Amino acid sequence: MTTDAPHVAVDDLILAERVRIEDLVDREGLEELCRTFHALFGIPVRIYSTEGAMLADAAREQELCAYVNTTNEGRNACAATVGAVKSREPGHSGDVVHPCFTGAVYRIIALEYDGHRVGRLIVGPFLPSSLNEAPPTLFKVDPALSKEKAQPLLLKMPRAKSDTVTRIASHLKGTLDLILFSGHKAHVTSKMHLASVRESFRQLEEKTARLQEAFDRLRELDRLKSNFLATVSHELRTPLTSIIGYSEMLSEGLGGELRPEQLEFVKTIHDKGEQLLSLIMGLLDLSKLESGTMRMSVRQVRLENVLREVVSTLTPTARKKAVVLELDAADELSELRGDPERLRQIFLNLVENAIKFTPAAGSVTLRARMVEDDGGDGDGDDGGLAVLAPMRARLEVRVLDTGIGIAPREREKVFDPFYQVDSSSTREYGGTGLGLSIVKRLVEAHGGRIRIEDNTPKGTVFVVSFPQAPPPAERAS
Amino acid sequence: MQVNFGGREIAIKLVYYGPALSGKTTNLRSLHQLTAEQSRGRLMTLETKDDRTLFFDMLPVTFKSESPNGTGMTLRLKVFTVPGQVLHASTRRLVLQGADGVAFIADSQTSETEHNAASFLDLRQNLKELGVNTKQLPLVIQYNKRDLDKIRTDDELVALARRGREPVFKAAAVSGMGVLETFFALLHITWTRLDTEHNLHKMIGVASNQFVPMAARQLGVRADLGKLLSACVGGDLNRHTQVPE
Repeated sequence: MTTDAPHVAVDDLILAERVRIEDLVDREGLEELCRTFHALFGIPVRIYSTEGAMLADAAREQELCAYVNTTNEGRNACAATVGAVKSREPGHSGDVVHPCFTGAVYRIIALEYDGHRVGRLIVGPFLPSSLNEAPPTLFKVDPALSKEKAQPLLLKMPRAKSDTVTRIASHLKGTLDLILFSGHKAHVTSKMHLASVRESFRQLEEKTARLQEAFDRLRELDRLKSNFLATVSHELRTPLTSIIGYSEMLSEGLGGELRPEQLEFVKTIHDKGEQLLSLIMGLLDLSKLESGTMRMSVRQVRLENVLREVVSTLTPTARKKAVVLELDAADELSELRGDPERLRQIFLNLVENAIKFTPAAGSVTLRARMVEDDGGDGDGDDGGLAVLAPMRARLEVRVLDTGIGIAPREREKVFDPFYQVDSSSTREYGGTGLGLSIVKRLVEAHGGRIRIEDNTPKGTVFVVSFPQAPPPAERAS
Repeated sequence: MQVNFGGREIAIKLVYYGPALSGKTTNLRSLHQLTAEQSRGRLMTLETKDDRTLFFDMLPVTFKSESPNGTGMTLRLKVFTVPGQVLHASTRRLVLQGADGVAFIADSQTSETEHNAASFLDLRQNLKELGVNTKQLPLVIQYNKRDLDKIRTDDELVALARRGREPVFKAAAVSGMGVLETFFALLHITWTRLDTEHNLHKMIGVASNQFVPMAARQLGVRADLGKLLSACVGGDLNRHTQVPE
């Protein structure tokens, strides 16, 4: 058998399972059934399991029996008869008559289900229809028993013709069979249901394990890729530095006077070299961030200082495009823990992007505020604030532009490396497609989050938020 | 198959497999009607409100071997159907587990050709996962719903049957046509296979070729067994007489 074989053997459930009355039928219900038969026909009925356990009893002591039990001998004889009836097997025919010394009789009838004997039905004691007088066997048991007393009590016993009892018993058997069938069906259904669920669960577990394995392998491959990228980027940078350095020296005339045409060529070499270098640096950053080897010098940072610096750096660029660049920082901004150089990189990139995609006469605004942390991902789900409010506030910076905007379905993808909304934008606006993916990873490396919103009526908002630095006391611990 | 020597009992499991709505349960219902009451138990159907089989149906058939020396054994056949709907895959495999023989109930309608094929591949896959090869398994194929329009023609079926090893029968289970034929053919090849492997005829004291006629007699089936089996339109009814390697 393969390992895929089900672990539940349903054969055991159904093929050879022996049905037991006590497993399938409610005891009280069975007792009730017997009582209604007793009430209807006046004849005592008892049901026993194959092992001899009494499952239901609808019999009241007959007055004659009570009288017989008043003497020691009578009690012993009665107990012996009852014992014999209880343990008597109904034979091959499945239906036997057991006489009592009082002249009454018991019928012992086999109960069958699905071709197996599952128990016994004991009907009686009752008087055969022909009996009118207490038999001598009664007085042989104990001569002290009086005929005068016994005779009227005997006649009080229920009386039934043999074939009537057969019909009653067959009806009871039929009823019981139906109950057993229904019970068995429910039993099998629930077992089957459980087995099916277990089987489905097992299959799911197997599949999950396989997926996990594949996932782990892919993650490992991803790590290898990042390492490879880091190594290659590093190796590429070394010769490139020489190219840039020498072309710079040439352009500065250190290698002798250049003709204007030569100077232009050398400057092109230098510019393209710088471009290539920034791409390689970007790749290096990205792979370091992905492999978690980016070194950060973390300290208390006042974000407004970083933002001011970014704005002053990019104001000339904005002015060149006739775009208004403003900083709107709240006064009570708290500090955050981070690497100021990396934070500067984040906002330089975002603002540079915003300027790039904003047409002339547009505006780019950097707005910094303290906001309450709702614990969510900015998906508009702000439930449970009563519980979440005690959490720390966050520092939120919004970079708003009035540019071309980003469609909602693109908003997740723009953070993927090398992704640009459409390839024509690369040609029009330039860029490597690495910027935002690096920004996102840098933000995350600071425990922050970044998302994109609409800037109505036009443009995009990049929302970056960081957890505020813990208070000094907490930091010390 | 399960043998209980103490209880002098042999239990054999037959499974009716096939695509959804091909008439597996209908086959069992007809079989239930066509057999004598004393040999078969109640038909247990576990179905949803819309009459689709949920877990399985089960028809128990019990008879005693008529052995001359009084060492008769009780033979219990349990005939199951699987739920045909695709979503009950795990239940199907559970029911199929331990099957001694399988009747594949195909739908004759031309529109159902693909479902038939998909279900058979599902059967093969499930058997494979249970460690059974369809080559070793006693298997008969029934093309049901011969009473409908737009079905594969008789000639097509004969041509199809000739391509395979498995005995093929035509049926209209609703009216009972082909039901006994399929059942006894399945019993015949399953018995042949089990007998060849386990010498069952010695165990139950009945000559090998007398088992199926005996079963038919006790099930109250009066039809000529040879005639029933000769309704086979192709395939090999005796392919399990060789002990598998």
